[in-house]
Amino acid sequence: MIEVEHLTKRYGGHVAVDDISFTVQDGCIYGLLGPNGAGKSTTMNIITGYLSATAGTVKVDGHDIAAEPMQAKACIGYLPEQPPLYQDMTVQEYLLFVAELKGERKKADRAASVEQAAARAGLQGMERRLIRNLSKGYRQRVGIAAALLGAPKVIILDEPTVGLDPAQMIEIRALIHDLGKTHTVILSSHILSEVQAICDRVLIIAHGKLIAQGTPEELAGRLAAKGTISATAQGSRGAVLAAAAAVPGLSDLRVTAEKGGEVSFTAVSEAGTDLRGALSLALAQAGCPVLTLSAETMSLEDVFLQLTETPAADPAPQADAAEADASAPDAQNAALAAEGAAPAQEPAAEPPAAEETAAEETVTAETTPAETAPAAEPPAAEADGPAQQDTPATPEPTQEKGEAPHGSDL
Amino acid sequence: MAAIFKRETKAYYTGMIGYVTAAVSLFFLGLYFANRNLMYASSDFAMVLYTTTMILLFLLPAISMRSFAEERRNKTDQLLLTSPVSIPGIVLGKFLAECVVFAAPTVVALIMPLLLTAFGNVSLVSAYSALFVYWLLGAACLAVGTWVSAMTENQILAYLATFGALLVSYLMDGIKTMFTSGNLLAFLVFAVVLLIASVLVGVLCKSLATGLTVFCAGGAALIALFLLRPAWLLTAFDSVLSALALFTPFNGVVGGMFSLSAVVYYLSVIALFLFLTGQAIERRRWH
Repeated sequence: MIEVEHLTKRYGGHVAVDDISFTVQDGCIYGLLGPNGAGKSTTMNIITGYLSATAGTVKVDGHDIAAEPMQAKACIGYLPEQPPLYQDMTVQEYLLFVAELKGERKKADRAASVEQAAARAGLQGMERRLIRNLSKGYRQRVGIAAALLGAPKVIILDEPTVGLDPAQMIEIRALIHDLGKTHTVILSSHILSEVQAICDRVLIIAHGKLIAQGTPEELAGRLAAKGTISATAQGSRGAVLAAAAAVPGLSDLRVTAEKGGEVSFTAVSEAGTDLRGALSLALAQAGCPVLTLSAETMSLEDVFLQLTETPAADPAPQADAAEADASAPDAQNAALAAEGAAPAQEPAAEPPAAEETAAEETVTAETTPAETAPAAEPPAAEADGPAQQDTPATPEPTQEKGEAPHGSDL
Repeated sequence: MAAIFKRETKAYYTGMIGYVTAAVSLFFLGLYFANRNLMYASSDFAMVLYTTTMILLFLLPAISMRSFAEERRNKTDQLLLTSPVSIPGIVLGKFLAECVVFAAPTVVALIMPLLLTAFGNVSLVSAYSALFVYWLLGAACLAVGTWVSAMTENQILAYLATFGALLVSYLMDGIKTMFTSGNLLAFLVFAVVLLIASVLVGVLCKSLATGLTVFCAGGAALIALFLLRPAWLLTAFDSVLSALALFTPFNGVVGGMFSLSAVVYYLSVIALFLFLTGQAIERRRWH
């Protein structure tokens, strides 16, 4: 249905999309997943013909978007990140305008297809309302109804659930799921649980590059062999890390917490081997008694974080490991430790949804009262479960966390 | 195109702009009509139009400023540009809507010459042809404003830039007389224009060599002209400035000389600026 080949978009010296190629098959829901600024919107804007590509081609149903823009655009219904709504029109007026714009000449046809699209998007009873006065959720629905007009084969939705409350989010997801039965759908998101719940296939984009694609199960399976080991050992930070680093097959050491001579850390074991025994032995030989030791397999979320992470984007963990004798961690370090501690101790309950959430959690920990900084353990404790309860101070992270369970409901 | 035209026209009258421009326009037309034609008992309706051209400088940018700047700011241009509508279709739809908004008060003004016939002999042909060219002049100004609006997302900036451009054009007859003092001045002005054009070409092609080539070739031609046929330079310069004087052909029509060349001139200006508008939108897709 859509063939994207070697798509590149440069803005001056900045490369927004870097040589992306993929094919979209009929009748599937595709998820374009990536952190903010990864190039998802740019890719969608090029596919829909809003922007021109610096290099590469896009073919929609066999029509090149650059050579035959009219035919290609007629196959696509697009909902951009910000729904392109005219505030001074009513829902009905707007949808009739879009229907005419998309080439429905007869007035009766337009009225019929608008009614159908409005019903599909759940806009019954809203037709006479001014778009200006609609809630964000309903605006999104108007945008989706507009995308449905003109009988397109492909529906492209750019971050359709951003800024919605959890209830609206569930409704919109159900709607998208429903659309998937009749249309090919491409949606972008930076929320993993959402993509996991709705999409048949996932394309992961980071820094303008397509870094992985497949079904959600495939992607999780690809790295399922890799396990994460979390352990706590007694001893100085330097000694513990040195012993763990010496175990062959262990990589990506991260200190998650440190208190009173106990060091907690996580590490990734490669090649599907269980390295718990080797790690325990190595620590014992180094004179660091092992207090806890557990292995987990990676969730899609971890895969996503690992794939989209680069040294430039997230230098903190490496600095953390290199800094062997951090005697008194400052607020920043404590925050980072707290951030890591949450998934280590409660992996199933609330893994960080994306980089964005991680950043917000960091902020949460940093804004804790000043007296907690020297002790370094209260922030860690606070970031576990109770962090969800401090609604008045940090409403945003709470909302972000709130959506994860909803996503898995679907 | 029809969909955009209808929506735009309606939008002008959903908001205030359509009514305000009609009211202001009719107020001044009515005021000067009452003063010139009725009180002084003159049958020359074209003179009324001539006096009110000044008002167009303030009025027309208010109509054209929102056309593309507002779409861009609200990101509704994403809907238009991803729908199966061609860019010329979008530009034409919007421009025609602007013309209709300006035509509304002009249509009301059709009554004014008829009123005069009650008092004596009035040349309706000259009055209506002047009104037609007056509307064409307005349409040309709107085309300029649409082009400016397509280059910014700030409506106020679009208004001010259009107003500035129209003002220069309005005063061009006076400005022109400052530049008739010598061939050297014409040469220097052309050299500066050439320099700017070369820099633009160089930047657009992202190649210093291309820019330099354009500058050297143009410079050589300019020097050759200056040395061999200095009078040509001055004439060319003069005619370029005359072409920029948007209001002059209308003034000729007011004098009672309806000329086809004035109509052709305004239609060319409209075509040129609508083309430039399309180019500006197309160019934006690349950046």
